[in-house]
Amino acid sequence: MEDKYEKLEKVGEGTYGKVYKAKDIQTGQLVALKKTRLEMDEEGIPPTALREISLLQMLSNSIYIVRLITVEHIHHNGKPLLYLVFEYLDTDLKKFIDSHRKGPNPSPLPPSQIQSFLFQLCKGVAHCHGHGVLHRDLKPQNLLVDKEKGILKIADLGLGRAFTVPLKSYTHEIVTLWYRAPEVLLGSTHYSTGVDMWSVGCIFAEMARRQALFPGDSEFQQLLHIFRLLGTPTEEQWPGVSSLRDWHVYPRWEAQNLARAVPSLGPDGVDLLSKMLQYDPADRISAKAAMDHPYFDTLDKSQF
Amino acid sequence: MEFDLENPFTKDLQHSLFAMESDHLPLSNSDLDSDHDIRRQIISFISSFSQKLHHPFVSYLAINYLHRFLASHSIPGEKPWILKLVAVSCVSLAFKMIGADSGLSDVQKDGELMFDFRMVERMEFLVLGALQWRMRSITPFAFIRFFVSFFKLKATSLHSDDADHHHHQVLKDRATEIIYKAQIESKLLEFKPSIVAASALLCASHELYPLQFPFFKNSISSCSYVNEDDFSKCYSEIQELVLDGYESMLSCKTPINVLDLDYSSSEDTHNKTAPSAEEKKGLKRLKISTFSKSPFQLS
Repeated sequence: MEDKYEKLEKVGEGTYGKVYKAKDIQTGQLVALKKTRLEMDEEGIPPTALREISLLQMLSNSIYIVRLITVEHIHHNGKPLLYLVFEYLDTDLKKFIDSHRKGPNPSPLPPSQIQSFLFQLCKGVAHCHGHGVLHRDLKPQNLLVDKEKGILKIADLGLGRAFTVPLKSYTHEIVTLWYRAPEVLLGSTHYSTGVDMWSVGCIFAEMARRQALFPGDSEFQQLLHIFRLLGTPTEEQWPGVSSLRDWHVYPRWEAQNLARAVPSLGPDGVDLLSKMLQYDPADRISAKAAMDHPYFDTLDKSQF
Repeated sequence: MEFDLENPFTKDLQHSLFAMESDHLPLSNSDLDSDHDIRRQIISFISSFSQKLHHPFVSYLAINYLHRFLASHSIPGEKPWILKLVAVSCVSLAFKMIGADSGLSDVQKDGELMFDFRMVERMEFLVLGALQWRMRSITPFAFIRFFVSFFKLKATSLHSDDADHHHHQVLKDRATEIIYKAQIESKLLEFKPSIVAASALLCASHELYPLQFPFFKNSISSCSYVNEDDFSKCYSEIQELVLDGYESMLSCKTPINVLDLDYSSSEDTHNKTAPSAEEKKGLKRLKISTFSKSPFQLS
């Protein structure tokens, strides 16, 4: 491992472990090295890891998914370790939005940039969903950005089952709830592609606002943030909501005007956002349908 | 997510399947290989190891991994244990991919030769690296459902949807048998999985529904995913293979002990042929030619 890659710096403490920026010594290519904490047993490579990594490999043939270049297998102090070697991108959407909010000369993201990023995000999500894979943890930190080329790619994918999504991340930082769909927060166990589309909606709004739409700090607070803006869900709106495991009686808030939460978005943008933030997951727009929404009519789709 | 050969993407993504199948060819740009005996021996080990697992498709997938592995690695034949190790590793990987939660101990149980798990693990990684972790192989099985839907009995005949379904199942079962046979025929390794599936189905229709054969052939040939030349070449190869099988069954009554192929018939769609002369014959037909490969090393 050491003779193949030169570790340059630690770029993050991902949900699953440390991530290093490194250089492939032979080719000079920059890569992101992710160490997996994989328990090898007496059965060789664990079946779940095998299945998940090969799934990741298959999905990463889309340019809107961070590419898995290779998998390195090494022994460290007699213990086998797996490193996933991904293509390296210099920034992520969180840092990108932050730079527009805090930087030396703060400015909103250009509407065409938001449009382009959202389209690429939908394209990547549609690719995953088309292959029967849910991301389940979409957030700006997981979306890598190539500033030069204006490309956005989905990262941290598909490791959900093999590596079990922890409640707390590797660094004991609490996993963010801001992008979590209401059905997940309410304890539904049969969730589907809608959970990712909810996250896409939250990310869309965040690009327009340069701050999170629902910044809750507990599951309960998270629900209240959502209910205050979108109104407390009713059985008519979302059949079965009151039978979900963690449903309680909540104050009955009326829905606010969504356009006021995202003043920089035009009517088409607000309409698309509202379709992503439907309470009933069955009513939520799919990634594929979103790509055909009038919001993208002014985008030159041939470039993607 | 468990891996199903008939449905590798879990959702219907016919277009992606056709687009990606070339990544899964064993011998994409190389000549047919020179490892005739070695390949044959490993296939025989794979068959006997996977026999114990009673899981349809394990041997098929393991042999698919083997073909793809041999496309980039040559194996020194003088050490029989290495051949067994390759076989155990391919079966173990296939078994895990298909949904087993264990691998090695089941594959190796009752075996006279037990490999240390570290050794198998190393071999598994060697295979994984050679296959670039593309373990969700796109095989002919993934295309059966697509092509069988082109088959129709004459519109005039009295039949219900149920009957259509029945005929599709009959064709599918026979095509599955043919695909198993075709897997060990080296001449067929160059064809895309979709072409092998289409040819196997056409061959099955020739045997079972000769009246519908011309129409079925035309509908498959006119499908935009199908290269007519390849289809016709592959069909004649498969046709020959199947006919050879009949001839040798008639002429050769001795039991086959080279392969000991014994597929379990636990599920309706997976009932395989009994150990037969075709497999043996098929193996004999693996062609010998030479081309250079990277040396195989276990280090």
